[in-house]
Amino acid sequence: MSPLNFKGAADMPAFSRSADTMEWNHTGNWRFLRPRYLDKDAPCSEACPAAEDIPLIELLAARGDIAGAWQRIREENPFPAICGRVCFHPCEKACNRGEYDDPVGINSLERHIADSARRQKLTPLQPKVAETGQRVAVIGAGPGGLTAAWQLRRLGHSVELFDARQEPGGMLRYAIPTYRLPTDVLNWEIGLILEQGVRFHPGRVLGGNLGWDELSQFSAVFIATGAWTPNPLGISGEQLADDGLKFLEEVREGRTPQVSGPVAVIGGGNTAMDVARTLLRLGAEPTIYYRRRLEDLPALAEEVKEVSEEGIAICPLLSPHQISGTAGDLQLSLLPMQVLDDPDESSGRARVGTADKPAELRQVTTVYAAIGFNDSPGLPVGTTEPLGTWLRRLKTDEAPETTILLGGDLVNTNRTVITAIASGKAAAIAIDAALKKQIISEQLNAAQIGGKGAISLNRLQGGDRSERQRHVVGFAELNTIYFRYAGRTERPGLTLKERQTSFDEVQMRISTAMAMAEAERCFRCGLCDQCDNCYLFCPDMSVIREKDGEGRHINFDYCKGCGVCVVECPRNAMLLEEEPR
Amino acid sequence: MKKVIEGSHAVSHAVALAKVKVISAYPITPQTHIVEMLAELVASGELDARYIRVESEHSAMAAVIGSASAGVRSFTASSSHGLALMHEMLHWTAGARLPIVMAEVNRALGAPWNIWADQTDSLAQRDTGWLQFYCEDVQEVLDSIILAYRLAEQISLPVMVVFDAFFLSHTYEQVDVPEQAQVDSFLPPWQPADFLDPLNPRAFNQMASPEFYMEFRYKIQQAMEQALEIYPQIDAEFNAMFGRSYPLVELCPAIAGETAPLALVTSGSMTGTARVTQRELRAQGILFDLIKVRSFRPFPTQQIRDLLGNYSKVAVIDRNISLGSGGIFANEIAGALSSMEQRPTVYPFVAGLGGRDVTQTSITEMIQRALGSTPPEDILWSGLKA
Repeated sequence: MSPLNFKGAADMPAFSRSADTMEWNHTGNWRFLRPRYLDKDAPCSEACPAAEDIPLIELLAARGDIAGAWQRIREENPFPAICGRVCFHPCEKACNRGEYDDPVGINSLERHIADSARRQKLTPLQPKVAETGQRVAVIGAGPGGLTAAWQLRRLGHSVELFDARQEPGGMLRYAIPTYRLPTDVLNWEIGLILEQGVRFHPGRVLGGNLGWDELSQFSAVFIATGAWTPNPLGISGEQLADDGLKFLEEVREGRTPQVSGPVAVIGGGNTAMDVARTLLRLGAEPTIYYRRRLEDLPALAEEVKEVSEEGIAICPLLSPHQISGTAGDLQLSLLPMQVLDDPDESSGRARVGTADKPAELRQVTTVYAAIGFNDSPGLPVGTTEPLGTWLRRLKTDEAPETTILLGGDLVNTNRTVITAIASGKAAAIAIDAALKKQIISEQLNAAQIGGKGAISLNRLQGGDRSERQRHVVGFAELNTIYFRYAGRTERPGLTLKERQTSFDEVQMRISTAMAMAEAERCFRCGLCDQCDNCYLFCPDMSVIREKDGEGRHINFDYCKGCGVCVVECPRNAMLLEEEPR
Repeated sequence: MKKVIEGSHAVSHAVALAKVKVISAYPITPQTHIVEMLAELVASGELDARYIRVESEHSAMAAVIGSASAGVRSFTASSSHGLALMHEMLHWTAGARLPIVMAEVNRALGAPWNIWADQTDSLAQRDTGWLQFYCEDVQEVLDSIILAYRLAEQISLPVMVVFDAFFLSHTYEQVDVPEQAQVDSFLPPWQPADFLDPLNPRAFNQMASPEFYMEFRYKIQQAMEQALEIYPQIDAEFNAMFGRSYPLVELCPAIAGETAPLALVTSGSMTGTARVTQRELRAQGILFDLIKVRSFRPFPTQQIRDLLGNYSKVAVIDRNISLGSGGIFANEIAGALSSMEQRPTVYPFVAGLGGRDVTQTSITEMIQRALGSTPPEDILWSGLKA
């Protein structure tokens, strides 16, 4: 009965209720705030120089969609199997979960995804793009050059890849020992790139048998020849020391030198660590000497830990002073160092100087120097200027009309695989822009994820990442009440005995079950993962799930803009905005 | 079947026998044992119900408002501060005409903290539209839950079954736990006329303008009055099936068929003490008739007038106080009697606050004060260390 007809209490229902549905009453018109689904950037993606879409990759992995996860990584980085082994994973350092319990094991997940893809014999998706007919020369087939080649092919350009060595890979092949990066893994991922129509030219040395008469015929040239020139020790008897990097290269080429007895390794970076670990596996007794403190070691913390586990001593605050004797019977004199009061302005590390103590003598068969490396030779004379975070642009009279970019270890102060990959991708974007007469810096900016230089091709090309808000979600912006504490999955490893006597890969794989559990730990900062909190909390039942279960929308007929959905979103994948009037 | 059980567990048994479908509660001493056992029954599958955990009593009541609105039999329990926190939702329950039953264990309110028996917590909710039945012993507690659902669902109003902290909640007594089949026969499944139904969407409890609000209140008052009318039939049916009867007001004369010079009005567990005191004083030649008030809401005004109008003196013991006024039962009784031309003198005792024992000695002392020649004051404190 309509209220208009009520004559008195006897006509009325026991409590107030409508006689019929009230759906005609669009209470949404009370709204002055409006919720919106809006994905954002995650700090891990920002910290990854290659801008891998980590939250989405972990979401796909947690759902068991390994193929999807793998293709998603390859969009930005063609080397997940390699990076899943050797990357220094700045993503994990930036992971919001680190402020909650422990960062997500992004690195071991990356390896799991790539290894699974390899087992399943997956092949990369190749976007259908028209061949541009433009020819690009890439010099140096390391991670930077290979990445540039891969992305340039995907952009439709013709690529010639030159390298001084016989096989592609650069440092990946010739400097990183197989116990960290097995050759079959390396060959697989490089093969996937070469199969896309990249022509590889081995034994071509820039400044040697590869000259500018040939290179100036290309529309653009990317030079990523790396840093293979050892820094001199600068001490008496220096000629008696061997080059650590060359030693690693020889071992990888199968020209393993005879080593035995006590061997000194000078340096504190990853090369020094790898030289010492290789020596150990070859039966020598290596000791690492480093002029600063243990906490100043530039090598990866994980590798320093593995070095110590394997029983290799790292002696800090000892600086080489003199080498004497004859090959195979050397005396190494080391000066004790001390920490000086004023820190090094440029690096922030503690500065060291000689201590007032007598020199220490070591009787060794060999001394390997690994105290840093300089640009490989062969660069043309010219001037360079920076271009974005990862590149320098070279102007030379050898080829004044050609776009020439430098990248990789030639440019990056942090000389790592992933920064080289970022360089390669930036080079592809920059060259593509130059060939299309676009403004290079604008294209590089348009590709940015966050503010640390990470660049995404997906974002640049108008993929789903371009629809996300350019805002990096911080820990304080999450609603962590919906997350549970869960221990991080650590990779199992070989036994010490196995490690000391073989070049088998030290770090073992994680199982699929472990990987899915680890991927489930990801907060997916800024990325809707269909958790349905908004749906459950909406007091007006105005969150409508799409029929396929992916995605939802707001029924603004009834949404009053209370904002509960936005507040209860665990991962900040929503936004509350003022209602437009 | 006769069992020796705790007062709290008598409630749990009754709730299970009533085949309640949704339980939501927040623990508070001395109520916790009730929902603890219910949670166990639900977890073990013995009771086919949903147990909704919540973060507060306000939410507990909101939860059962939801479930009862959807048309299922619902239960909650609380006490003292918990009940106070529910206050807003109590009004809503009655206004929405939801027959929710709550076990309310009388406990004093702080400050200072006190977990013992005191009726002020439930009496402070007297205007919320809930029926309130005060119980004397554990058997009555159990039976009242079953009676409460039957009555509540008939008049569409919520019922509080109220009993004293520890004296009843934590005391083991021999109790006759009824058979399920008998309870099923006495208490059929609830079939509400109106309930939230997605297939027939309607808005419940919409705003009622000044044009209509008063009529909705009038209808609740009518339902309260209807409760007074129909309760005796329900109680008679219960008596026929289970052999126990719980009138809204019970007269227990010192000598059957006679009127003593004094009527003593009690409620709750102290009534048992008063029964013993009555027998012992009768042996000494001191006579008083005992009136046990079981129903505070609806207040059985006419019955009170009929039963008490003949006495010259009426003593009321309140284990509660409306601060700034006095004992709450005494106030209600004085109010009920005020329209009578010939009315008794009311002796309003306040005793046993915060769980202090009301003993035979203290009842005897109150009887003697009322029978004496000193005229009553507005509050007669019993056992106060002034």
